[in-house]
Amino acid sequence: MTDAPTTAAPSTTLSMQAAINLALEHALAQDDRTLVFGEDVGKLGGVFRVTDGLQERFGADRVFDTPLAESAIMGMAVGLALHGFRPIPEIQFDGFSYPAMNQIITQLARMHYRTRGAAPMPVTLRLPSFGGIRSPEMHSESLEAIFAHVPGLKVASPSTPTDAYQLLRQSIADPDPVIFMEPKARYWNKAPFDAAMALADTPPIGSSRVVRPGKHVTLVAWGAMVSRCIRAAEFAAEDGVELEVLDLRWLKPIDAAGLAASVGRTRRAVVVHEAPLTAGLGAEVGTLITEQCFGTLRAPVQRVTGYDVPYPPGDLEDHYLPSTDRILSAVQRVLEYRRG
Amino acid sequence: MAEISFNLPDLGEGLIDAKVLEWLVSVGDYVERGAPIVEVETTKSALELPSPRAGTVARLHAEEDEDIKVGDPLITFEVPDDSAGIVGTVPQQDAEPKRRVRVQLPDDED
Repeated sequence: MTDAPTTAAPSTTLSMQAAINLALEHALAQDDRTLVFGEDVGKLGGVFRVTDGLQERFGADRVFDTPLAESAIMGMAVGLALHGFRPIPEIQFDGFSYPAMNQIITQLARMHYRTRGAAPMPVTLRLPSFGGIRSPEMHSESLEAIFAHVPGLKVASPSTPTDAYQLLRQSIADPDPVIFMEPKARYWNKAPFDAAMALADTPPIGSSRVVRPGKHVTLVAWGAMVSRCIRAAEFAAEDGVELEVLDLRWLKPIDAAGLAASVGRTRRAVVVHEAPLTAGLGAEVGTLITEQCFGTLRAPVQRVTGYDVPYPPGDLEDHYLPSTDRILSAVQRVLEYRRG
Repeated sequence: MAEISFNLPDLGEGLIDAKVLEWLVSVGDYVERGAPIVEVETTKSALELPSPRAGTVARLHAEEDEDIKVGDPLITFEVPDDSAGIVGTVPQQDAEPKRRVRVQLPDDED
């Protein structure tokens, strides 16, 4: 096995940043057509140290710094994919993907369709995403609904180190373009990790995961909101209310069957995301639940989200991001709802 | 550990260099962001420069009484690897949230 763990012993504890680094290392070792590039990913090793040491190990031909031009980064990824490479570009922060949208939407997402299948686009765009790090403007955007709305793109977001490793290896191996949204706020949170087991246990693309079972209400979340929902579930358990937490993992394709299975049991659902409310992915999730579970639902699906404003300055983000209290308030609304 | 260097910033008014009058920190000192690190003299005035970040001083790039140009290295900090990001602060672990909201099952829950 060419991709056996080299820098992490089995059954160790790893941060998500280190797990992503390991996934990139293993992908680069497995296939020499794999390339990692972006702003500061080479010599510096990334502003979050996610690509640390990769240029030293694999050389500056395969792990390299680009000019500060996101449209060029994504245009280059498309060109390299056309020529048989497997590019893993990084756009340093979510908000920097705006200048690259033309390349992503008009080229990357539709090249496979345009060529009637002749030109697959095995590109994984690593996009450090979401808030929670007290950042300045343009560094805490939640763009999953924008990307999920573009035909031809897949969208994934991990919540744990193991999840990050699995989803990234899977995204890189997939022949389609994947927008891989890394929750920055979780980069240094450590959890038990075993790369070989993670790889062997990887669920299919489009799978969600029940990360905490419960019977009264399902909380649906992704990225950094998953751990917050687990905390809310721990609080609710003190009051005898059992919340199930479903980590969506794949934001496109969405695991409609997984949603139906969970909410079919609990009969109530609350969707939690950082992105603004209007036309957010919570609307899609809520509709998928309603379409499948209308007869068993005891209350309308509730959403707990950011507000319809630009992401605020760091000092105000605790007021913007869904808090455990806001999540519990929505839980109480679905618990006490009565058909009138 | 990672190292982060800072250059003499543009002090305004078209000034192109400054003389280091006195270092207010030494190699090995831990410095908070915003704490004064050096007093410099320009042709206009003497002023204290605040530290652009927190960290342990690894190197000072000029002697006292030495002139340095705007843009030349001034000071290098040693910082933990996981705080070396140039933007924002990634938490090491979750802050414990304050809880105010209680929840309750309906009376007729089956």
